Amino acid sequence: MSEVKQTTEAVKEKPQMDPRRSGVMQRTQRIEAMMEVVRIIAGMAIAYLVALLILIAISDDPLFIVKQFILGPFSSPRRIGSIINLAVPFMLCGLSMCFMYAVNKFNLIGESIFMLAGCIVTWLGLAIGNSLPMAVMVPLMLIVGAIVGAILSFIPAIMDRKLNANVVVVSLMLNAVIAQLAIYILRYFMRDPGISFIGSYETPDSMQLPTLFGKMKVGSGIIIAVILVIVISILFYKTAFGWKMRLVGSNPRFATAVGLSTLGISFAAQLAGGALAGVAGATEIMNSYKRFQWTASTGHGFDGLLVAVLAKRNPILVPIGALFLAYVRIGADVVNTSGDIPNEFISVIQGIIILLVAAESFLSGFKNKLIFRSVQAEKAAAQKDTK
Amino acid sequence: MAEEVLRMQGITKIYPNGFMANKDITFGIGANEIHALVGENGAGKTTLMKILFGMEDCQEGKIFINGNEVKIANPLDAIAKGVGMVHQHFMLLPSLTVAENVVLGVEPMKNGLFDFNTAVKNTQEIADKYNFKVDATAKVSTLSVGQMQKVEILKALIKGAKILILDEPTAVLTPQETEELFEQLFNLRDSGVSVIFISHKLEEVMRICSKVTVLRRGECMGTYDTADLDESKISRLMVGRDVILKIEKEDPKPAEPILEIKNLRRFNSFGKAVIDGITFTVRSGEVVGIAGVEGNGQTELSEVLAGLAPFAEGDVVLNGKSIRGMSVRQIRDAGMAYIAEDRMVEGCSGEMSIEMNIMADRFTKSDYKNGLFINSKKMREETERLIDEFEILCDNADQPVRMLSGGNIQKVVVAREFTSGANFILANQPTRGIDVGTAEMIRKTIVRKSREEGTCTVLISADLNEVLECSDRLLVMRKGKVVAAFPKANEVSEGELGEYMLGLKTMTPEQMEGLL
Repeated sequence: MSEVKQTTEAVKEKPQMDPRRSGVMQRTQRIEAMMEVVRIIAGMAIAYLVALLILIAISDDPLFIVKQFILGPFSSPRRIGSIINLAVPFMLCGLSMCFMYAVNKFNLIGESIFMLAGCIVTWLGLAIGNSLPMAVMVPLMLIVGAIVGAILSFIPAIMDRKLNANVVVVSLMLNAVIAQLAIYILRYFMRDPGISFIGSYETPDSMQLPTLFGKMKVGSGIIIAVILVIVISILFYKTAFGWKMRLVGSNPRFATAVGLSTLGISFAAQLAGGALAGVAGATEIMNSYKRFQWTASTGHGFDGLLVAVLAKRNPILVPIGALFLAYVRIGADVVNTSGDIPNEFISVIQGIIILLVAAESFLSGFKNKLIFRSVQAEKAAAQKDTK
Repeated sequence: MAEEVLRMQGITKIYPNGFMANKDITFGIGANEIHALVGENGAGKTTLMKILFGMEDCQEGKIFINGNEVKIANPLDAIAKGVGMVHQHFMLLPSLTVAENVVLGVEPMKNGLFDFNTAVKNTQEIADKYNFKVDATAKVSTLSVGQMQKVEILKALIKGAKILILDEPTAVLTPQETEELFEQLFNLRDSGVSVIFISHKLEEVMRICSKVTVLRRGECMGTYDTADLDESKISRLMVGRDVILKIEKEDPKPAEPILEIKNLRRFNSFGKAVIDGITFTVRSGEVVGIAGVEGNGQTELSEVLAGLAPFAEGDVVLNGKSIRGMSVRQIRDAGMAYIAEDRMVEGCSGEMSIEMNIMADRFTKSDYKNGLFINSKKMREETERLIDEFEILCDNADQPVRMLSGGNIQKVVVAREFTSGANFILANQPTRGIDVGTAEMIRKTIVRKSREEGTCTVLISADLNEVLECSDRLLVMRKGKVVAAFPKANEVSEGELGEYMLGLKTMTPEQMEGLL
């Protein structure tokens, strides 16, 4: 590039200075990173403290309850396995929401995609029976789940784009419709009349994922989740499409001005996010269930939103967010079965923890003060030097 | 001299981004006075008035009303102290009646409920007192713009305003409505209300104001009796240059035309022509400056040229191809680079890394790909090289752009746009609000690229130094039209330029023949 060389000469006329000589900014970055960790730890500590204060009032043994909440999830291999199993759908739904977040479209259709994809793969699995080996059956189910998801997320995406209908409202309304559709299919096409609850016939063995690690009973769905975390992290950070999505999401007008097709990219990202929610539903059925038995929306779509927020919208951090959420949920289960605390209260504590961890500007005043002080110190030092 | 009712003393306002909007401004107005506040856009008029009305706070300075020092914390406070403001954009509730809008905030009550009849009576009284012809029971949504403005003024008067600020009140009015407004302003003046009249229509200022205060780039150029001035003197005060900037450059050698704009028209959503039949050609190796008071179609023109907005009539031809219907990508591939007016809106993405911002226009190209993936190594090398070349002060290429200073953010923008390989550079306010060193680097690079590589440049700028010194040819835009063309930008005096910018003079098409 010839023009580049000429601008080099242009700049060289001026006295050279080292462009990396900017300790202030480096320090600012370090403070931002450090405060991130401090914020999460402080958030959890405050939440547990609040919980303890309330528990003193309503429980006979508040310390025991808090201990159960914090340490209970690690008290047996089975419970640790449960955390991981619970984290699998959280991870996949979190990845799904990372796509929506990346392009700044709060398409919440994942909630019902998860349910309908689970329903459709069960239905299909029952139809196919044991005629296919697991090595074919599992990928087939994942693909079917993805297709269901992509088709469903197309609806709010196209309405947003063509009819200017708010994507949040459309996706939430559709959630109600699609959940009923799944229940309809369950009741009229695959309900097993021989069991006491509403549930489908048992799915064929070839689509029931085997468990790993002996006593921990970790379903092998975790492998699917981990592979997808890696693939999607690469997609986000190492492919042109990932760059496009992130540019469009962070500043659509800028993305347009440098020549990206903002609408098309945001559309594609929503379809990809929907496909992942479908994969999540299919995986969950194969990983944790023998029958399709959801008769109400499962909440996984919203959990995915939470995970994506906890993970700072970064797919690499999604496993951490998912494991954290699963840990809090299992802690709640433990307390629920072993303590004298009503279940609703557990939800309150969960809520406080997640709220404080997710609140981005919690402690931001303190962070700004630190940055301000370090800038001042830097300036003072610089003045000393010149003297 | 009349008694002074308001004095603003030594007002300095610095915005959090470091922009100094008001610099030690002092001015006072007397009773029974219509006082004009004039200046170009961005000169600090609105900021100064927002400080007076309590919408902004200032770092330094004092405000005196009737000789007593006051602190104005917010608009309610300002109203309580007798200051009223009529904004450029009306702040009315269209579904309510005139009376309800006027008494909003001082509602008459009866038995704990809003008393509509008293509201109508009070409104009608005050309207009659100042001879305003409005129907207090009419719905605001049914009123004309001129009538809505009356409602705005009544809103201020009913709260006892003694100092009334009007921010470009005639911009939205028809000539007849303007006449009526002036009559009312005279009435107000005679009944003891002081009016601050913000405008850049100088003939109006000369007609109705007794005094005028001129602001230029945040500084006060003085307060004068209008009797001592004429329009061209005011325009010289408004648009003068502070520091003479010199750029050494050889004479241009314009070659083949690269950008041809032919009778271009664009309309806004109200059907008004915001670009009204513009024609000009830019050749390889020359820089064409576009001067003008902001808001006269420059932004709209740059949006069209950058492919961000469609146009209705005419054509734009870039390197032999019409850009009509092309996507931004196609226009960029045809040879356009764009330095956006507001770097944080269209010039970069603050949350993203320096690397992504510099590579944003080219990472999709096959040079930067490695099969399915992006070529991270090559992109990093290229980014590092550009960071060094443009002396972007940062820690590393991964730093989010928002952490850099304004000048360094602009360096990121130009590092991308100057190296995209384009032969047409559209630079809209390329050095606004940045440090002198970076501004100089950008200006010199624009000139150097035109001389050495034969790029053609359209330079849109409100900075007269910049357009006069960087440009080879100079055009002046006003009301969506090119109203003047000069063959040699550095031979134009700012006084002359100011007269064209403010509409005191216009060149005929014959005069501009051959210069476009």
